[in-house]
Amino acid sequence: MSVVYVTVGSTGFDDLVSVVCSRLFLQNLASRRFQQLIVQYGSSEDVFMPPAAESDTFGVEIKSFDYTSCTQRFIDQADLVICHAGTGSILEALHSRKPTIVVVNRGLMDNHQSEIAAELSGRGYLIAADPDGLAEAVASGAYTKLTPYPNADPQPIGEILDEETMV
Amino acid sequence: MIFILSFAGAAALALALRLYFVLPIFSRRQRSTVDARKRKGKAVRNATQRMLCIVLGSGGHTAEMTRLLSGVDLDRYSRRLYIVGESDLISLDQIGVLESKRDGEKEEYFVGRVPRSRRVGQPWLTTPMSVLRCFRQVAWLMYRHLPDAVLCNGPGNCVVVCVVATIIRVLGVKRIPIIYVESFARVKTLSLSGKIMYLLADRFIVQWPDLLRQYPRAEHVPNLV
Repeated sequence: MSVVYVTVGSTGFDDLVSVVCSRLFLQNLASRRFQQLIVQYGSSEDVFMPPAAESDTFGVEIKSFDYTSCTQRFIDQADLVICHAGTGSILEALHSRKPTIVVVNRGLMDNHQSEIAAELSGRGYLIAADPDGLAEAVASGAYTKLTPYPNADPQPIGEILDEETMV
Repeated sequence: MIFILSFAGAAALALALRLYFVLPIFSRRQRSTVDARKRKGKAVRNATQRMLCIVLGSGGHTAEMTRLLSGVDLDRYSRRLYIVGESDLISLDQIGVLESKRDGEKEEYFVGRVPRSRRVGQPWLTTPMSVLRCFRQVAWLMYRHLPDAVLCNGPGNCVVVCVVATIIRVLGVKRIPIIYVESFARVKTLSLSGKIMYLLADRFIVQWPDLLRQYPRAEHVPNLV
């Protein structure tokens, strides 16, 4: 089964959550042959209002919850990850080598989130989108042509630490 | 009167000199960015019971720190002091996960929970008070444990921890090297913590190359997390 996992992280993201409940978004998911949508909506519970009628979800089965302690498990079982631009979520999605669409929250005051999203999408590791452009980004299917993210190597930190404590 | 003035002058001069010789920002020591391959197999001489102070903060910072720590050989830092925001339950969980993999017989760790120096969106007017509360707790923890190094990556509390570490150094009690890793999310600009930490850190690591132009003392180490 083809699964999309949407995650907003440890806070909420109203614009993203309401977009993934929209008819257009669900229709585009169905046209890309996705069968299940799993939404972690965090504190945006109030705007999580998926269509009630099955005909309005275009056959996409919708599951949801507010928070989970095992994000990784949901990412691992997904075929497409749609996440907010928080570092934790981005890293989890990239390292699991899943096609990823990052949705930037323009409402945040200190907007370095768009910086990292732009940088990574410029390098072809993920797709960056606005909430308004998300349905379109799914429909285009560009997420299938991404570059796999290289494995991380945190070893230098250990070496720098050793250098400093040996003095 | 003149006596008091000249005494104050001498004290100020002494302090300025001390700061000049002690603070990493004035250091001329050449820092080469670590080349992992070149240094492989190099023996570490004093594999003793070093204590590492690790500052954890909310959300993304903690996620990155967990990844960074996987590059640290904790056998060499068998004593660990974690400094965590008191409301930060996620970081506490992470410490539990990490430490449960270690040998509790040979190693030990401490968790210091401190009030947040500044909540996101807290008015600047009330910030000095909360910083002071945080400072008091951190100072006590650092003085009691006197760690051998501080590793931090940007939550607000790390500035307080590193100011304390610097004071301990200026007073001549102990040289506590500070290793700061700017967040993966910072591509072109430093965070506020980052800008302050640039003045305090012995090693200032950035994960994206553009930051080197503005901050020449930084080291660029890509692909860390």
